[in-house]
Amino acid sequence: MGKKISAAAQLKSAESLAAAISMIDGASAEVSTRSSGTQDRHTIKGSCTPASWRELAETLESKHGIDYCSMITGIHWPDAADKTWEVIYHLMRTGVTDPGHENGIVQPNITAAGSLKGGNVPLEIEISIALPDTRTPSVASVQDIWVGADWNEKETWDLVGIDFDGHERMRRVLNPHETPVGYHPLQKQHKLRYHGFEEMYDDVQGFRRKPADAGKVK
Amino acid sequence: MAEMWISMGPQHPMTHGLWTLKIKVDGETVIDTEPDLGYIHRGVEKICEARNFTQITTYCDRLCYASANTWSHAYIYATEDLLDVEVPERAEYIRLVAVEIQRIASHLMWLGAYGPDIGNLSIMVWCLREREMMMDLLQELGGSRLHYNFPRVGGVKRDLPHGFAHRARAKLTLFQDRIQEYEALFDESTIFLVRSQGVGYAKPEEMINAGVSGPNVRAAGVDYDIRWAHPYSVYSELDWAPAVERSSIKGADCYDRYRIRIEEMKESASMVLQALDKMPGGAETYHEPGDPKILAKAPSRAAEGTTGYHHFEDSRGESMFYIAGGGDGRGKMPYRVSIRSPMFITIPFAAKCMVGYKVADIPAIMGSFDPCIGETDR
Amino acid sequence: MSDDGQNFSVFNSRILVDTVGDVTDEALKASRMKEVIGVLAGRLFNWGQRKSLFPLHLGIKCCALEMAAAGASRFDAERFGVFFRSSPRQCDVLLVNGPISKKFADPITRLWEQMPEPKWCIAMGECAISGGPYFQSYNILEGVDTIIPVDVYIPGCPPRPEALIDGFGKLREKIIRIGAVPSEVRPMSEAPLILGDE
Repeated sequence: MGKKISAAAQLKSAESLAAAISMIDGASAEVSTRSSGTQDRHTIKGSCTPASWRELAETLESKHGIDYCSMITGIHWPDAADKTWEVIYHLMRTGVTDPGHENGIVQPNITAAGSLKGGNVPLEIEISIALPDTRTPSVASVQDIWVGADWNEKETWDLVGIDFDGHERMRRVLNPHETPVGYHPLQKQHKLRYHGFEEMYDDVQGFRRKPADAGKVK
Repeated sequence: MAEMWISMGPQHPMTHGLWTLKIKVDGETVIDTEPDLGYIHRGVEKICEARNFTQITTYCDRLCYASANTWSHAYIYATEDLLDVEVPERAEYIRLVAVEIQRIASHLMWLGAYGPDIGNLSIMVWCLREREMMMDLLQELGGSRLHYNFPRVGGVKRDLPHGFAHRARAKLTLFQDRIQEYEALFDESTIFLVRSQGVGYAKPEEMINAGVSGPNVRAAGVDYDIRWAHPYSVYSELDWAPAVERSSIKGADCYDRYRIRIEEMKESASMVLQALDKMPGGAETYHEPGDPKILAKAPSRAAEGTTGYHHFEDSRGESMFYIAGGGDGRGKMPYRVSIRSPMFITIPFAAKCMVGYKVADIPAIMGSFDPCIGETDR
Repeated sequence: MSDDGQNFSVFNSRILVDTVGDVTDEALKASRMKEVIGVLAGRLFNWGQRKSLFPLHLGIKCCALEMAAAGASRFDAERFGVFFRSSPRQCDVLLVNGPISKKFADPITRLWEQMPEPKWCIAMGECAISGGPYFQSYNILEGVDTIIPVDVYIPGCPPRPEALIDGFGKLREKIIRIGAVPSEVRPMSEAPLILGDE
């Protein structure tokens, strides 16, 4: 049948990595089982203080083979009790070793997926860093550890406003370059155009304006 | 030295989308590049905070418009993770059929645009002709030519129509013959071989560290595919293996990236044929929309503090949605939807791959990475 | 022989051309031939322009794929004279096929200004007509007609390639009606002709 990672191997690898993360000061992790349609997958859900993020990132990359930074999510929580900003790093271990080569041609090593174990098992890791209420939230940059974090950090700063210490050449990537300094659209105080547009209309499908607004277009 | 910055774009026939590639050239050699994105930044992540979960599916189709089904399915898997919904097996098979046919259509669109970049204009009409075949199949499933809005939280919108399996088998078998014509057209064309071999090397370890995934990485000999590494759907029930190319030790060149997509199209076609044979209940049975065999009951509200995410093998790499629940509609609308686009990460990497080559190699290199700006700009 | 450069020849080519031109012009105006030639030439130019509309090779978003499909072999827009050109200087029609973001508003206005008269603009798809599904977005203009005068609107998300070809047909009908006038003096129609509304 088709290739598939053995779920037991994934669970074991996830547990050992979670234990290793929890041993670092300021970081903690646990195995979380997520559903995926008809099957489950075992992932790691961790959290970390901003001060220990850099050490955790370096340990993950050098000792545990986490070689792929998938995405960085920034969230603004103005009403949450314990945090105002949150940065979530989605990392992955691809578990593939470099293909060998012979006579200058790469010989792809086709992985026998069912027999992967230990430090070679692909894993999904989620590290979330909560930041307190501050006008200038910032987290240490990991641009030099994973090149894939480079543009993700630019985007998080551009849209959410979370700065990354040590990030070279920070610039606007999605918003125009002339966007005013300090404008980060995904912060919760900025509302969408026609925010609450459902209240403009009298009926569910949005054909008739309310009687007081009859004749208006916008 | 005569160095200058040239701006290619935003309106440029080569760029496969709306973005600017600024190149610094010394004569004809490229010495530095800088991509400039954001020309179709629509703020989808912000708009999704004001839509309920079913409405967001329509936005996800429009993220990468060449490969619409893969994006709406990526979103739906993340929502099902958030709401903890178990999907019926028949729905998973139908989703697999839709996603793999869409993968073929997306690679055909790429090939149809890549040929003219290199100079081969015939391949455009050939590939678009096959793509029309695939789009007809997807139109039967989803109702529209380009944006299908096909999956629902917990299953699919409707079952395979009457006769779909017969038509799909006929078209895919025809496609498997036709794809050999495309290979012949390119492999026997000296111009194509000269323009794409030895150009745009990309090393696998740099790619993985840079966040590139999908066919671009498999072209370099690395056997990594989310469909087996972080399994979802019913891929493990089918007899398949991801296509992996043999490249040189310098990395994957444009020719390898072209070959991997041809192999992926063949693989996807065979997966769909297998899935139609193995579908629980048979491919010819029809269930009404809403039948529990194809759509499970799903909650429409997400509790506060719950999150869901899912990595998905999109036609261009690994795409991912991260959804934090419990927003303004008190659960019906998400608090934050965060979208990971493989091309957003690959385009800066591909721009670095161009350094050292001539200006005339830029369309070949850029096109071989298969950029799609809709998902990049979100 | 002059030493201050002045040419004493009465029949130097410049003066000759101007004189002949003036004389012919007066003669044609007097005999009303000028009007006849003007009408015939105008009709000929109008026929030539509307039968060979060259849109710009501009793909913004999803509707661009339907534009490409319209140019491919199944729907074949080229048999109607529609041939895509890469440079705005060689185009007649600006086919706007996607949402206009704030960053792209300036480039598209420049593309429009670079196109020589007579030129027309077709707004294809919901995003170009009114912002489409992104009408609430902080970065998308509510329709391309906020910055560029639009002649034909083609609704759909995306419109089928047949609709796009029909849109070109509607533009041809419009060109017959209004002729080839510069866009600043083009009369804005009171009752827009909506595709699919006959």
